[in-house]
Amino acid sequence: MSADPFTLLGLEPRFELDAAALEQRHRELSRALHPDKYAQAPAAERRMALSRAIEVNEAARALRDPVKRAEALARRAGIAVGETVEPKPPGALLMEMMESREALAEATAARDVAAVTKLGDGVRARQRRVEAELATAFEGGEASRVLPLLGELRYLRRFLEEVDAFEETLLG
Amino acid sequence: MAYSEKVLDHYENPRNVGTLDKESEDVGTGLVGAPACGDVMRLQIKVGDDGLIEDAKFKTFGCGSAIASSSLATEWLKGKSVDEAETIKNSMIAEELNLPPVKIHCSVLAEDAIKSAVADYRAKQAARRAAAKG
Repeated sequence: MSADPFTLLGLEPRFELDAAALEQRHRELSRALHPDKYAQAPAAERRMALSRAIEVNEAARALRDPVKRAEALARRAGIAVGETVEPKPPGALLMEMMESREALAEATAARDVAAVTKLGDGVRARQRRVEAELATAFEGGEASRVLPLLGELRYLRRFLEEVDAFEETLLG
Repeated sequence: MAYSEKVLDHYENPRNVGTLDKESEDVGTGLVGAPACGDVMRLQIKVGDDGLIEDAKFKTFGCGSAIASSSLATEWLKGKSVDEAETIKNSMIAEELNLPPVKIHCSVLAEDAIKSAVADYRAKQAARRAAAKG
């Protein structure tokens, strides 16, 4: 990640992001940077606009994703994120995630749709709670709560990616 | 990401996947995780009366490199003493699997899991000795 995505898109750095405002800003900037507008411009300017357009797309993608959005906000707050700098997850969370991943693996292996749906719904509800807590932590400047919540959110997301992958195999 | 052949081999044919009874006195369990990627890894050792590791099992929910690192670790652990187990370093795992720099943390996770399983086993033995003394 190069530049801060909030700055790139000119949006207020908040975890609870106005999704419509993000999409509108993304559209405006994409239109302004569209290659057609630079058809007559010197090559250097055309290249600049193109690379800006790519950065804008990346920034929009990052901000749509709650995990990447939280990572961007953490960096802005001077909190280092990444594999080697984050605290180890608490044992209770690991035990819980190991158990729920095993339960999910069993349910998907048995193609038990009802069980997978139930597990997925539970984790989605929890994801919403953790996101709400993250928003509160960022708003209140509670830096020490950010990384534990972000770590938990990543675990929940990984779980839900497995649920999505299973649902895709049903459609396929 | 292109995985090395050794990683693919362990990923496709993981060795020693499973569970040992974590309540058993001769079993040590290590449970570790990587918060930045949402991986969770459980590694267990079963130590015989002769002090050698007679069985090792793992279960990892994570990327191919994390699975391969823990699979390889269980292979290496079998037949070693508990002290020898602790000498296994992440760099040895990373070298054996040709892990790229961005996946080194997967081998670190496996080393953590070994250390944590050994610590759990030692704590159980210490508790048993304390109980025996009365």
